[in-house]
Parts: sequence; C-alpha cells; structure tokens
Amino acid sequence: MRAVDPMRVVVAEDAAVFREGLARLLEDRGHRVCAAVADGEALLAAVAAHRPDVAVVDIRMPPTHTDEGLRAALRLRADHPGTGVLVFSQYVETRYAARLLQGTAAGVGYLLKDRVADVAEFLDALRRVAAGGTALDPEVVGQLLGAGRHAKGLAGLTAREREVLALMAEGRSNAGIAELLVISGGVVEKHVASIFAKLGLPPAEGDNRRVLAVLRYLEA
Amino acid sequence: MGDPLTTAVAWGRTVLLAPFGRRARNELLFCLAGVPLGLGLAVVVVWLMAFATVVALLSPRFESTWVAGVALGVGAVLTVVLAPWAGRRLGAVHRRLGAGLLGTPVAAPPSPEPAGRWRGLPGWVATGLGDGPGWRAVAYQVVKLPLALLEAYAVICWAGGLANLTYPFWWGLFRNHPPGVTLDPVPAVTPFPGRPLQIATYPETFLALGVGLAMVLAAPWVTRAVVAADRRLLVILLGPGRLALRVRDLEHTRALAVDDAAAQLRRVERDLHDGAQIRLATLAMHLGLARETLAGLDGGDDVGRARELVDAAHRDAKQALGELRDLARGIHPPVLDSGLDDALASLAATSAIPVELACDLPERPAPAIETIAYFCAAELLANAAKHSHAGRVTVQADGRDGSLVLEVGDDGVGGADPARGSGLAGLAQRVRTVDGRMRIASPRGGPTLVSVQLPLRT
Repeated sequence: MRAVDPMRVVVAEDAAVFREGLARLLEDRGHRVCAAVADGEALLAAVAAHRPDVAVVDIRMPPTHTDEGLRAALRLRADHPGTGVLVFSQYVETRYAARLLQGTAAGVGYLLKDRVADVAEFLDALRRVAAGGTALDPEVVGQLLGAGRHAKGLAGLTAREREVLALMAEGRSNAGIAELLVISGGVVEKHVASIFAKLGLPPAEGDNRRVLAVLRYLEA
Repeated sequence: MGDPLTTAVAWGRTVLLAPFGRRARNELLFCLAGVPLGLGLAVVVVWLMAFATVVALLSPRFESTWVAGVALGVGAVLTVVLAPWAGRRLGAVHRRLGAGLLGTPVAAPPSPEPAGRWRGLPGWVATGLGDGPGWRAVAYQVVKLPLALLEAYAVICWAGGLANLTYPFWWGLFRNHPPGVTLDPVPAVTPFPGRPLQIATYPETFLALGVGLAMVLAAPWVTRAVVAADRRLLVILLGPGRLALRVRDLEHTRALAVDDAAAQLRRVERDLHDGAQIRLATLAMHLGLARETLAGLDGGDDVGRARELVDAAHRDAKQALGELRDLARGIHPPVLDSGLDDALASLAATSAIPVELACDLPERPAPAIETIAYFCAAELLANAAKHSHAGRVTVQADGRDGSLVLEVGDDGVGGADPARGSGLAGLAQRVRTVDGRMRIASPRGGPTLVSVQLPLRT
C-alpha cells in the first residue's frame, strides 16, 4: 500500500516487539522509518541525523523508565521545531500533556499506545503532527472535560457542542470534525463560534491556537 | 576426643596458657575498672547516710520534725532526679567497658522521654520517676556493689599470686641476717582473705611460690566467673530492655515490610507495563492492520465471517488494554514516579470538584510514603465528590521536620464518619502502618478537614 504523502519517521520505543511492529506498520503504509531506536539519547542523535517529519516517542524508556521520553520530546521541540513529536504512552497524564503543550501546540501529539490499533485514525493523527498540527488523546480531553472545574460553563453547551469541543481539543480541524460527526463544514463553524461565545474565549485563528485556547480554559 | 592423652594435653595447655591470653588480660582490666566504679556508689550511699544521720541528729535541736521532713523531702527529690540520670551516665561507662574489653556490645536504651505537661522541677521529677532504663541502671549499680567486691577478690588473686611467686628470689637478699637474730615472719597472700601464710624460713618461701602458682593459674578462671555474672547483669540491666528491643526490632521489620510491599507493587506495575501491556498493544495493532487488510478484500461469506471475527478480536483487545491500564494504575500510579506533587496535580486536574492544590515538598518522601499519601488524597477527593456536595476542595501537602502533612478540606455538608464505612477506616489503617495519624474534623453541616500526618521515611 502506498501512502498519498509519505512521511519520514523516527521511532523511539524500548520494547522491541512494539517498536518493530510499529515500524512495519508505517513501512506497510508507505512511510519511511529512518531510524528505530530504544532510548532518548539515541532518539536525539537520530533526529539530528535524519531530520524526519515526525518522531514517535515512548514516554518510559531506559535508563530510569519514568519520563525520559517526555524530556527528550521537549528537547526535540526546542532543538528541531520543524520535526513533529508524537509522544506515545500506555497511560496518559494531563500533567504530562500540560508540560508538552507549554507555549505552543504546533507539531505536538500525545496519544495512548492503544490508538495504534485503529490504524487509519493513528496515521491521521501522525500526519497532523508531522504537518505542524496537534493530536491530543481523547482520554486526556475526557479527563479535562470531566474535571468539575468548569461544570458551570460546560453545562451551557449543547451535547453536540460538547462533542465538537472535545474534538477541537484533540486538535482536529473543522473539516476533520465535520467528517467524523457527518455534518457539513458550515455547521461545524457555527458550533465552534457558539462554543467560543458561550465560554467567553477570544476567537483563535488556526487549529493549534484553538487547541491551546480550549486547554487553557479547561486547565485554568 | 577419643584419645585420653590428647584430651589431657589439650586441657593442660588451656589451663597453663589461660593466664597469658588476651582474654585474661581484658577481663582483669574490666575487674580493675569495675572496682572503683562499683564502689563509687557505696561512697555516695555512705555520704547520703551520713547526711541523713546529721539531719536526724540536728532535728531534736529544733524540737520539731519538720526540718527532718524537709531534709528528707529534699533528699528524696534529689534522689529521684539525680539517681536515674547518674545511673544512665555510669551505665554508659559500663557499656563502653563491656563492649571494649568483654566484646559484649550492649545497645543503649532509648533516651528518657520528657514528661509532657510539666515543666521545671515537677517535670524533672516526673521524667525521673518514669525513666525505667535509668532506674534499671541504678539497680545495676546496686547489684554491682557486692559484685565489685568479688571483682576486687579476682584482682587480689592475680596480684597476690604474682607477688607470692617472687618470694624465693628476694628472700636471700633481705634475710641473710646473722644467726641468733629472729625476725618476724613475712605474710604471704592466700586465696582465703584474712588468713595470710606466715613465711619464716627460706624453704617456706617455696610454699609461697606454690600457693602463688596455684593462684595465678586459678585467677583467670575466678575472673572469668565473676565477669560472666557481670556480663549477664550488663545485658539485662543496662540494655534497652527486652520489650524495647522487641519494639525496635518490630519497627525495623515493619518498615522493611512496608517498603518491600511498595517496591513489589511498583515492580508488578512495571512488569505489566513492559510485558502484558506492550504485547497486548502490539496484538491490537496487528489486529487493526488485519482488519484494514480484510476490509480492502472483496470476497464471499468466508471473508465476511473472518472480518467479523477480527473485528470482535480487535474490540476485545482494545477493551482488555483499557482494563489492564486501569488495573495497573490501581496497583501503582506511574505518575508517582515523577513525584508526589506531580501525582497530586494529576489527581487535582481530574477531580470532579474544583481543587485548590498547594504542595511544599523540599525533600522527596520515601516511595511507600508517597504511595500512601497519594491513595489517601485520591480516596478523600473521591469521597468529597461523592458525599460532600462541596463547591471547592483544598489539597495541601507540606513536608517538613521529618513529616509529611496532607490536608484535604472541602466546604461541603460534613458528617464524614469513619465508623460509617466510607473508606476512611481503611485509610486510617493504611496510615497507621507507618505510624502516621489521621484526624477527621467533619461536623454535620461542614466544613470537612481531614489531616493525614505521615513520617517522610518509613
């Protein structure tokens, strides 16, 4: 299978079985895996050498098996702004998401490893991140939406608007939201405008800024 | 042991060499030091008795007994305050001697606990009265009195025996008096105090030599017997006491058990993360690929059936991943690895009630403590969300002076009661495993404040 628009990818994952599976999946879909490494140092070296479109980074890697992947991802973002970083983990913490999205949401993703099971969805998220967009796991968004801080503000939204809000927070474009909810782009735009008005958010241009605006609102 | 001759030779060697060993020397030194230390108390007692006598003699002069009463009172107070204090200090000297010379290290008893409410003299008296190890040290000093006499006897055995050995050598030098002159006989020490041997002639000096030899050979064994008795007393009366030792031991092993349990849970979570979870994620990924591949095929019923089966397997794998993740998080939340403040922030971010979080943890607590604090906060937040109808929750974690204080408060309806089984009793139990304390203030109508105090180290 050939991809419409092949990406150059570096994979950092310490579990060999998953690393190889992921590399095979990407190659199978026509993307190029420049390097598949097992720790943060090797990741930084590989990215410096290959300048990929996107790096897929596991959070827990040797030597400490805590958050070196996250730290490596933050360094990548500082050193190679042109490379998207998709942080990949077996659990998601809103705290980590906040650290990752500090300042900008451009070219950043944070997903559960489970998401790779839905191949098309996963590749879509990876492509978004590679193109400078955002991909935030529904679980993170769900946790933020479920946290009762903004229960009052969110209560003013219709069920549909809440759905749209969640998808916005995940980093999806209006077109993506329209496709997922099977509605027209115009309707999505109307929902978005309504949400921003109801939550009292300043209008934000671009999907990334929109993500940040929503997250700031949810985390405040 | 078969050969009687070998046995006899071995015995002989032991007996003959005993006086020259390091052990004999050390035990003798212990006795030498013990005599003044042991008799020192006798001096004090005699002095006190003299004091009492003087008081008793003086009191009729004042034609009243109140002077005697006051003097006795002062004496009693002084005794209560000073005796355990002095006992502890002398005890420390004895313990050091025991460790250095007898090779019997005895752990020091715990320091006296200051009596809580009283200050000044009443406080000192209360502390003195309650100082069990101090009084045991006094008891040692009392028992040491007769023991010191026996130790003195052992020293005499050594010194007298050695002196007796010299008689034949100097006799000729001092006793070559002209015939007809009669000199007083020279006394020689015997093992029987007060019964000296009278040596009048040169041949008799060999009797002294014989007695001396016997004494020197016997002295190490006499010393050893006395010292053995002293050593037992040392262990029983100057140690921390069997109960205190047991408590110390139990505290230590409990801390090990708590740490071990925390470490094991961490390991289980890590094994799940690196093992089953990653395999399952890979499996789900492959099923996802298979699903897409099958979707691209057109075929008959068989392909349709296969598609259904793979769909089901794919769904199940994803669900299992979710369940496994929840399980792992319940065993050991991975975010705890980056610190309690991060973990609490994660909890706060996902709480159903808005949380105001303040963390001040200059020093990182032990992993087991972090785990307990985390689960306390999680449970208390969940309780607040479920029962309190609160609009705000505050979570505060402060680590200072060796303890971690976690406070979770809300402005809800109150009425939290551990007796009514809201998980609070379980929490209190968990907190107690590390000598922590949990205080609940939750009057009907609110507000609720639960304060958990934990040591920073197990």
